[in-house]
Amino acid sequence: MLYLDNLTKVYRRGVRANDGISLAVAAGETLGLLGHNGAGKTTLLNQVVGLARPTGGTITLLGRDPVAEPAWARAVCSFQPQAHAPLTGVTVRQAIESIGRIRGGHRRAVRRRTTELLAALDIERWADQPGERLSGGVRRLTAFCMAVVEPGQLIMLDEPTNDVDPARRRLLWAQVRELAAAGHGVVLVTHNIAEAERVIDTVMILNHGRVTATGPPAALAPDRQLRLEVIGTAAPTVPAWALRTSRADGRLTITLAAENAQLAVAWAASMTSRFSLNPVGLEEFYLTLTANPETNPDATLVS
Amino acid sequence: MRHWFRSYLLLLRWSAIRLRYLLSLVLVVQIFLSVGIVLGFAFLLPQIDSATARYLATGAPTLGLITIGMVMAPQLVATAKTEGTFTYHQTLPVPRTAVVVSEVTTWLVVGAPGLRLGLLVAVLRFDLTLRVSWLAVPAAVLVALAATTVGLAIAYAAAPPVTNMVTQLIVFIALMFSPINFPADRLPEWLQTVHQVLPFQHMAQVVRDSLTAGPEGVPAGPYAVLVAWCVLGFAATLHIMIRRA
Repeated sequence: MLYLDNLTKVYRRGVRANDGISLAVAAGETLGLLGHNGAGKTTLLNQVVGLARPTGGTITLLGRDPVAEPAWARAVCSFQPQAHAPLTGVTVRQAIESIGRIRGGHRRAVRRRTTELLAALDIERWADQPGERLSGGVRRLTAFCMAVVEPGQLIMLDEPTNDVDPARRRLLWAQVRELAAAGHGVVLVTHNIAEAERVIDTVMILNHGRVTATGPPAALAPDRQLRLEVIGTAAPTVPAWALRTSRADGRLTITLAAENAQLAVAWAASMTSRFSLNPVGLEEFYLTLTANPETNPDATLVS
Repeated sequence: MRHWFRSYLLLLRWSAIRLRYLLSLVLVVQIFLSVGIVLGFAFLLPQIDSATARYLATGAPTLGLITIGMVMAPQLVATAKTEGTFTYHQTLPVPRTAVVVSEVTTWLVVGAPGLRLGLLVAVLRFDLTLRVSWLAVPAAVLVALAATTVGLAIAYAAAPPVTNMVTQLIVFIALMFSPINFPADRLPEWLQTVHQVLPFQHMAQVVRDSLTAGPEGVPAGPYAVLVAWCVLGFAATLHIMIRRA
């Protein structure tokens, strides 16, 4: 559905916001874009929807060129920008219905879909409140509804869960899954890595405008590493199989390779029963990749 | 074309909902301005002859239109830019011309009630008899259109703090240094020349002529200048709307 080939964006002051990015999003697939602040995620989305013009490379959306046809691109692509939606003076319901109509929906269908979305995200009690009286989280959820009330074939969400409470974040992720299941391509920018891991089919990690890693979350979570947490023991000698060790708040954390799991359990059990062993998630992987972005920006791990 | 018109109407409705709470406020400001000029400027002048009354009575609604188009509209755009709602509207699947035209339409509608009320106050205060010609409505629309398109062009092009400063400057120049409430020949010669190009004097003249002179013998020059400003303002606005970073 969406193909980027060697997409490069250099701003006038010489900042390389995107540097040779290639990616593909199929219908029904959810791509998660992760990366530090200023990594170039929003710039990437802006180019697809025609707010910014690429310096180099090509974008192909549904077989056409959105750079040459920005009006068409905006029609087939629903975008939730990171900035707040215009809600001042408008109620939640009015905002969602108006944008649904502007996006081409029919009155009755839009009204029905709005009611469904309000219920699905559990924000019905604010439906008739004007935007200026809403909390940041409800505003963000409203903006999400405005983007997906009349969804285009491609849906791009820029940090849709910022300020949203944990319960409603789950409801939002469920909606994203439903949209993908209905055949929409979804591009998701988020910092909520641990949660997004469950809805994302493919992850792409950007670092200073370049792709640092890409692949399914399960494949990326680094070559089967585990994390051992041991609580409240005196400082033991660090075993030889430990890859990384850290100690904080009376808690010893050791990262180890998966094949040493049995050794680790035996070692921990010999000291205490208060320990846990978990697979390292995407978030840890992300942190190790971007912890020292300056030292090795060329590290590419493409699975 | 159908898509354009549908988008235009829906955007108009969307603006109406969003700006509803502002409209009453704008109306109050505009009425205060009109009444302020008619009553307040009369205090400055010891004697008001019929020519002065004619200038004040028609200058007040003109300044009202200038304030709405070149001050309030751009300031609201500046706020929208700061809040990110400006960019939001750029992502909607609607023709960009429809966005601009709907915005201009909104401000034309906003200006109408205050214009009439200001004129009414003037007529009562100065015991003036107007000779309203058929040109009154087109003239008022043209003035509002020129003010709004130029105002939006400034707000679209400039950074929000700059817009806010420029609009303050405009209201200052229009109120004190433009031949709107007084004849141009009272100004120094160089300033008269400047006002041949700026829209303010021409705005005042078309409103004044259309309300007091009758249709015969209305010069076409000011209309041509205002049309040129409209075209310039609209072209600049649209160019910035379509431009990509």
